[in-house]
Amino acid sequence: MKFSVGEAVQTSGRDPVHHYRVPRYLRAKRGRIEAVHAAFPLADARAAGDPAPPVETLYTVAFAGDDVWPGGAEPNTVYHAELWESYLHPLETAP
Amino acid sequence: MSRLNDVGGLTGFGPIEREPDEPLFHSEWEARVFALNRLLMGKGLYNLDEFRDAVERIDPARYYGLSYYERWFEGVRTLLIERGIVPPETAT
Repeated sequence: MKFSVGEAVQTSGRDPVHHYRVPRYLRAKRGRIEAVHAAFPLADARAAGDPAPPVETLYTVAFAGDDVWPGGAEPNTVYHAELWESYLHPLETAP
Repeated sequence: MSRLNDVGGLTGFGPIEREPDEPLFHSEWEARVFALNRLLMGKGLYNLDEFRDAVERIDPARYYGLSYYERWFEGVRTLLIERGIVPPETAT
């Protein structure tokens, strides 16, 4: 487990051609670890038929609505997403 | 290179249609597609992520014109053909 609850992270801005679980609107966005879950097989690899997909910790990440939908979010919106560890990077400064 | 299904936050699709007392299925074939997919996954022919991937690979020129369960049918069809379970000419 790489991240702990409360830690600031940034999602990957990667744009792969295969099945991928970071929606476009959450790419290269700053968020905060809200919960740490168990480890699960990575969907990207499972979708490609990998018989031994990497198993990664899954996190609930909280994003400020205004960061996800700049100028378009209702006030005080917090957006939660379940994201695998390899989708996240550490962020030194809090968002 | 985001796929066609990744439409969160895109505009231009019009408002989401809300049906009062929306039925689980709008016709029997939808329920059959749902059941078929669950059965094939349960039998281990493919997993849920492979199914999602198959739906996301639908021809872009057709994708947005298909209904939800028409996309499911296309995904199941693609996987059955790719695995050699059903010959392409009979999978319609």
